[in-house]
Amino acid sequence: MGKLISSILIANRGEIALRVIRACKELKIKSIALYSDEDLRSKHVKSADEAYYLGPPAPAKSYLNIDRIIEIAEISGAEAIHPGYGFLSENETFAAKCEEKGIIFIGPTSAAMALTGDKMKCKEIMIKAKVPTIPGSDDILEDVDKAVEIAEEAGYPVLLKSAFGGGGRGIRLADNEKKLREEFEMASAESRAAFGKSGLYVEKFLQGIRHIEFQLARDSSGNSRHIFERECSIQRRHQKLIEFSPSSVVDKKTRSKIGEIAVRAAESVDYLNAGTAEFLRDEKGNFYFIEINSRLQVEHPVTELVTGIDLVKLQIRIACGEDIPFQQSDLNLNGSAIECRINAEDPFHDFVPSVGLIPDCNLPYGPGVRVDTYLYPGCNVSGYYDSLVAKLITWGQDFNEARVRMSNALDEFIIEGINTTIPLYRTIMNEKNFINGNISTDYLEKYKILNLMQTQIKERSLKTSDSSIAAALLYSEFLKGQNAACNSSKELSLSDWVRIGNIKNGI
Amino acid sequence: MEFKINNLDNILSGSISESSVDGKIIATINGKEHSIRIIGLKNGILEFILDNSYRTAKIIEFGSSYIKMIMNGEQIVLKKHSKLTEILEKSLAIGGSSSGENKLYSQIPGRVVSIMLKSGDQLKKGDSVIVLESMKMQVAVKAHKDGCIRDIRVKVGDTVSRNDVVALIE
Repeated sequence: MGKLISSILIANRGEIALRVIRACKELKIKSIALYSDEDLRSKHVKSADEAYYLGPPAPAKSYLNIDRIIEIAEISGAEAIHPGYGFLSENETFAAKCEEKGIIFIGPTSAAMALTGDKMKCKEIMIKAKVPTIPGSDDILEDVDKAVEIAEEAGYPVLLKSAFGGGGRGIRLADNEKKLREEFEMASAESRAAFGKSGLYVEKFLQGIRHIEFQLARDSSGNSRHIFERECSIQRRHQKLIEFSPSSVVDKKTRSKIGEIAVRAAESVDYLNAGTAEFLRDEKGNFYFIEINSRLQVEHPVTELVTGIDLVKLQIRIACGEDIPFQQSDLNLNGSAIECRINAEDPFHDFVPSVGLIPDCNLPYGPGVRVDTYLYPGCNVSGYYDSLVAKLITWGQDFNEARVRMSNALDEFIIEGINTTIPLYRTIMNEKNFINGNISTDYLEKYKILNLMQTQIKERSLKTSDSSIAAALLYSEFLKGQNAACNSSKELSLSDWVRIGNIKNGI
Repeated sequence: MEFKINNLDNILSGSISESSVDGKIIATINGKEHSIRIIGLKNGILEFILDNSYRTAKIIEFGSSYIKMIMNGEQIVLKKHSKLTEILEKSLAIGGSSSGENKLYSQIPGRVVSIMLKSGDQLKKGDSVIVLESMKMQVAVKAHKDGCIRDIRVKVGDTVSRNDVVALIE
């Protein structure tokens, strides 16, 4: 192995900054952190070898401020930049700026990023490379007859989408020709009103879909590997909540077949470093490529636990010009791993963000348990940034062992001061369809998981009612006078809690 | 004493029936006798043994008619239940939606990204008044009652804290 670089600037915050700092420490590379005003007391600042001040809390003025970050890289003498995920990780301007300044960008080249970032262009390249994509029109439709022609070819039902829309706007479902003609008229009128153009295209509507992705790595000598799949079908509004590997619907044969397609996709855009090819799988078992994520994924630990590969160290080595140190045939899938994204959102109130001081927290431990988090007692969860506060990952010899370990670890995981998605995951880990691998991207709605969660929390309150009533009685009867730490009101001394006996502080 | 827990409908009961000098306590909870031994109370964390099992509760708030605690990672609010509170709650609920508070509070901290209505507009309970951005998510602050907007107290770009008044509704 050649000589590695001596310093890396981490253009990110939170748990992923900590993850990269750990990799740097293992490789004896100096880690350089950045912080906004909001992050002065954040854990990544404490853990890094050096930390530089970025600017005000707003992302545009801090973690998205390209000029400022490049300036700090130059001042600090950083040889490379790791962008983490989110923020500037898929920003081709930033990658190009690093290339221009001679700073190693730990990720793909700006040219490859430009291709993966342009959905239409990328689809075109994939079709040429014989990577299966979702059947439909590859360009904007001229008229309704063309739409019908393509729909017949792809098969009904189809989705009619506006090329200018986004976030579900202007998407219509048609299950036959008559409906398609009607919808085309309405959708083009709607699109004209909203965007001034009637740019519509047609796509096959896939039912009971799963989101399955393949981890990729490619080095500068052109060696490509796929590092197996991750099942990411448990989502809410297209945001992944739970990921695991292996997928229950991917057998050995499918794994190598789709893995090879993923490698072909990476090669067709001359990809560099770690990335992910995302696919949708329909009920019949067909896989359709949707996009390449040109960054390290949030859910990368799942792959690390089932393969033993440290993906961040691999990223750093590839960025330093080293070849991938393993052959495709060297890779083994060992056991099963699950990740839950613990978000600071209230699952009982439409996932509204929840921010503030964390007075105390208890992280789970034990066999097969990994926690990637920036939380510590006394830390702050800021409203300026992403709601992900922790990733809980468990490993087991099979899915069931990993699942039960997850369920127990979630029970142990206590985060005070904010609401989190932990109660939702406690429900899912013990839900029969999840246990049986009966999942799709509409899992939450299909099985009314939120209602189930509501019922279960009531059951739990009732189950612990003996303990909570005992605590209330003890506190009000014997102890409240001794404890000035909690917020008691003036009414306290006039408390009309039932008084039995006459015991003072003697207990 | 009778209790209600969180939003459960059940009315539960508990009382201390015996406490001896050696620290042993007998309590009757939901009609059953339990033996309790207090381990200690420090910084609001109460530890005790209930029928030979360790239990802990963190007391967050303590008022004359309620107690708020964290047990097994979940927040539990115990309300003292009596006929009087039941009658009071019912009478408040009847008058609740039409009268009461004029101030519309922001339920979360965030940055104002858009204002959907202006002073003088009529609105119904549940209508979005302003949209806040927090944690890259857009969250609407919705009217808590029917009425007319008398004043919008924020402008686009402002940062608001939790429980800030964002508008007045009459």
